[in-house]
Amino acid sequence: MREFRFERPGTVADAVRRPAPGTAFLAGGTTLVDLMKLEVMTPARVLDINRLPLRGIDQTRDGLRIGALERMRDVAAHDLVRRRYPMLAQALEASASGQLRNMASIGGNLLQRTRCGYFRDVSVPCNKRAPGSGCPAIEGENRMHAVLGASDACVATHPSDLAVALVALDATVRLRSRAGTRDVALRDFHLLPGTTPEREHDLRPGELVTDVIVPDLGWASRSVYVKIRDRQSYEFALASAAVAVRRDGDTIAEARVAVGGMGTRPWRLPAVEAALAGRPAAEASYTAAAEHATDGVRPLRHNAFKPALMRRTLVRALLELERIR
Amino acid sequence: MSPSVVGRPIARTDGVAKVTGAARYAADADVTGVVHAVLVTSDVARGRITAIDTAVASSGAGVLAVLTHDTLPALTLPAVTSFYLKRFVPVQDDRIRHAGQPVAIAVADTLARAQDAAARVVVRYESAPPQVVLADALGEAYVPPPGSDGPNDYTRGDVAAGMAAADVTVEATYTTPLQHHNPLEPSATVASWDGDALTVHESAQGISITQNVLAQAFGLTPGQVRVITPYVGGGFGAKGPAWPHTLLAAAAARHVGRPVKLVLSRAQTYTSHGHRAETHQVMRVGATREGRLTAIDHVVTQQVSRTEELLFNSSEPTRMLYDCANVRSTQRAVRLDLPTGSFVRSPEAATGHVLESTLDELAVTLGLDPVELRLRNWSAINQETGAPHGSNHLRECYTRGAQQFGWSRRDPRPGSMRDRDGIIGWGMATAAHTAGGRPGSGATVTVGRDGTARIECGTQEIGTGTYTVMQQVGAQTLGLAVHQVTFLLGDTRYPAAFASAASATVPSAGAAVVRAATAARDLVVAAALADAASPLHGVAADRIGAEDGFLFVTGQPWRRVAYRDVMARHGAPISATSTPVPTPLGYSTGAVFAEVHVDPAIGRVRVRRIVGVFDPGRILNRQTARSQAIGGAVWAVGFTLTEHTLVDPHLGRVVTPNLSGYLIPTNLDIPDIDVDFIDRPDPDSPALGARGFGETPMTGTTAAIANALHHATGHRFRDLPITQDKILAALS
Ligand SMILES: Cc1cc2nc3c(=O)[nH]c(=O)nc-3n(C[C@H](O)[C@H](O)[C@H](O)COP(=O)(O)OP(=O)(O)OC[C@H]3O[C@@H](n4cnc5c(N)ncnc54)[C@H](O)[C@@H]3O)c2cc1C
Ligand code: SF4
Repeated sequence: MREFRFERPGTVADAVRRPAPGTAFLAGGTTLVDLMKLEVMTPARVLDINRLPLRGIDQTRDGLRIGALERMRDVAAHDLVRRRYPMLAQALEASASGQLRNMASIGGNLLQRTRCGYFRDVSVPCNKRAPGSGCPAIEGENRMHAVLGASDACVATHPSDLAVALVALDATVRLRSRAGTRDVALRDFHLLPGTTPEREHDLRPGELVTDVIVPDLGWASRSVYVKIRDRQSYEFALASAAVAVRRDGDTIAEARVAVGGMGTRPWRLPAVEAALAGRPAAEASYTAAAEHATDGVRPLRHNAFKPALMRRTLVRALLELERIR
Repeated sequence: MSPSVVGRPIARTDGVAKVTGAARYAADADVTGVVHAVLVTSDVARGRITAIDTAVASSGAGVLAVLTHDTLPALTLPAVTSFYLKRFVPVQDDRIRHAGQPVAIAVADTLARAQDAAARVVVRYESAPPQVVLADALGEAYVPPPGSDGPNDYTRGDVAAGMAAADVTVEATYTTPLQHHNPLEPSATVASWDGDALTVHESAQGISITQNVLAQAFGLTPGQVRVITPYVGGGFGAKGPAWPHTLLAAAAARHVGRPVKLVLSRAQTYTSHGHRAETHQVMRVGATREGRLTAIDHVVTQQVSRTEELLFNSSEPTRMLYDCANVRSTQRAVRLDLPTGSFVRSPEAATGHVLESTLDELAVTLGLDPVELRLRNWSAINQETGAPHGSNHLRECYTRGAQQFGWSRRDPRPGSMRDRDGIIGWGMATAAHTAGGRPGSGATVTVGRDGTARIECGTQEIGTGTYTVMQQVGAQTLGLAVHQVTFLLGDTRYPAAFASAASATVPSAGAAVVRAATAARDLVVAAALADAASPLHGVAADRIGAEDGFLFVTGQPWRRVAYRDVMARHGAPISATSTPVPTPLGYSTGAVFAEVHVDPAIGRVRVRRIVGVFDPGRILNRQTARSQAIGGAVWAVGFTLTEHTLVDPHLGRVVTPNLSGYLIPTNLDIPDIDVDFIDRPDPDSPALGARGFGETPMTGTTAAIANALHHATGHRFRDLPITQDKILAALS
């Protein structure tokens, strides 16, 4: 780990006052400290934000507000979350491990870095870590990598489960900088790698995530998050699906669908949502709609199974929804 | 012999120390003035170092030394027989033989400063593309000269004739992946010199191995090297041989004139202390219509490094287990630019997996029940040596296991057993592993004037319960209560013992304790008989029994005297030391049954239950023995379904060198494990009828799971690990 300056601002204003390059915010540290030890991240200045009042889970006019420093465990356990957005609680509970969820924050979760093994090994090239150095994953071990949204520069998967569920719910992130506050739809917040995989999100230097806002969606109380992985706990998704459905009798009126483990960012699937709308709530409709999930996939050598797995996962999630009264 | 002490499920005597943190592992050693060393390892897998710049690294605050092949004093390459398996000592020349090879050592007053210095060493390489993919290099396979476990080309009978005589033959190709040990405690060394005397606190499975290797490397006598290892935080073979980091820590300590602590990083553990080499295996079996094996032809090809050619995926089960007159077993090596392999818990698991999977294929071909097939080929003798086993209750393991599992309710048709959300598969296999046949150990038993005993033995506690079980063995043999015995291990000042490896601790160290305790007891008895005031005075020695702290006349238990009283009157401690006697080659076997559940829509498999019935001779402690069976089953779930060290095919680097990316099973992946034992003493055992057991349970369990998967899906998964994508592909 490289030497760094450590500061603990007491107010949000202090935290965003001097957006010097090479500054990193420290929340739970489960991504940051890990990557600092590997020297993948080498901030010169670390601002511990844990004293900032970025807490609380409450109902506001804009919807459910979750403070960026709320811990994954606390959000998953929160009554409002469990009742109104079960897919959020499920996505959180399917993430990481109990110890990690006790530490990890919601803001940090959305900003966690890819688990691509090459990214984490500073002795090898990686366009995301060292722009222009190359992408060994494309010709290397890429079973966990993305089939959607990848570019010739980077094929890394976005690892967050929570972000998948939040994208399905049209969540926004509230950002605060010296220049003021702005809201960005989570869907637009994470960026495609394109030719600049080092740019992962629309966060300006020194800008802080203060809250996540989940707009009201009454029918999200019928939602699920299904995660498929190589072991039953403590592992990232091979494929995951966050789905919510509003039914009108036996017909699907509206649906929200997003998938994880597939894309270079949390992946919303409007084509699948459109294909579900107006169809009978039955397996045949789900299977037909799931076909649209893999439009535009670009499989690599070791992850060619992912499109089929994703379609199955989506169907499974929709079937599980049926079981919920 | 009274059953009161041995056999009881006594909880680990070191358990409280471990869970409260009082147990001191190697890196916890409290050595005054200790400084820290961190290894710099090679980025590339093949080539040479063209330049190392240590200027920046050396100039850091608190940095004591940055040693490279230009500055580290020469070390002697220890002989391979010393169990320094690597055929070179790193940081001695500019050659790079694998990624992760140490190329420099940074030493500083704090760990952070040493890490920082290590990160600032700039190494330039001239590198060539490495060859690390076994499948790409199979054409280069060759049969190496005989290793420590015998010839790599083994034949008995006439395999061609046996195949010709078969009514059916089955041929299949299997692969098993590169696997790592992943002990919780990363290897650690704390080395300090006092003149030419070296003391090392080491996480070692074989302190005498480490002692001899260090002595050879530094040109010392073994007596000049002391190795101390009171606890090992798991080893699984990783800490059995001695590895470069231990030599380098000692060399660094000598260089800086201070005690040095070196702890491998988790990532370094994937390139520093061996692995289970990837295998490619072709198995051919022939059998009569009735299911009698007529021939087995097994070729296992595995990776070795550029510098040695030792094979650890031994074909023992193929050669030893079943009654078959015609067997050829060939072990081939392929040189790759990877680190040196070694043994990993149950080294025979990879070949045993293939034998037991192919037998399942044969059972399907013959339409014969897999248990019945094995019963028909059961062997009363060791097929490789022709010698009878001390005892062998494997047939009873099959029948009892089948009954406990409910095997008779199995519908053999694949996919025929279902529940509401999926398909159920039932599979079984034989577990078998040699448990003995290794060098012996020594021990010293001292009975004090207070009548309690202290036993010293240079064995190790690797988490298997050695402290506890040896205390029981000592107490049983002496006739003391367990709490009257103290067992000390992990110090080369005690009589030398064999490594805690190869399921050898019970037969080797256990036998040493039995011999020394018997001798000590005889001396105590002699003292009692000679004492005119003793109630035992004048009785013949062979009529004296000992139990629970008392000596008594057999058949007249009221004529007794306490150990304490005998020793008080004797007035001086009584002590006896045993010398090593090689242990007989035991064979601990068992039958394992597994149930899997497959969710066909998404290909998910879950192991739902495992039943294992084992015959390791007499059970010394039901609780610790059961823990070994559970641990073996957990290893089997990992090897079969999740574990796989990924190496980049072009860079030759491990892509998943951490416990997040390398998938050890979690609690949720582990089913109910039901363990039972035949628990009958082996008359050949020098350790109270017990044989070694640690490595048996993993064998068999892997194939039981894979065979269950075949039963569920009708598909034979021949490439481990059997991940969900493979199952989904097979079912689509
Ligand atoms: C072994 C392991 C397994 C895991 N498994 C999963 C899994 O299955 N699913 C899953 O979704 N996640 C998983 N994770 C990731 C985990 O959820 C994230 O590490 C965690 O959510 C990050 O939160 P944190 O508070 O610890 O972030 P930190 O490590 O403190 O920060 C992460 C990044 O976000 C920045 N940051 C943090 N807070 C803010 C803020 N408020 N404003 C601006 N920038 C900020 C930091 O500067 C840093 O760059 C796993 C992690 C580990 C180590
Ligand atoms: S996939 Fe992206 S993160 Fe991984 S090596 Fe390539 S550029 Fe780096």
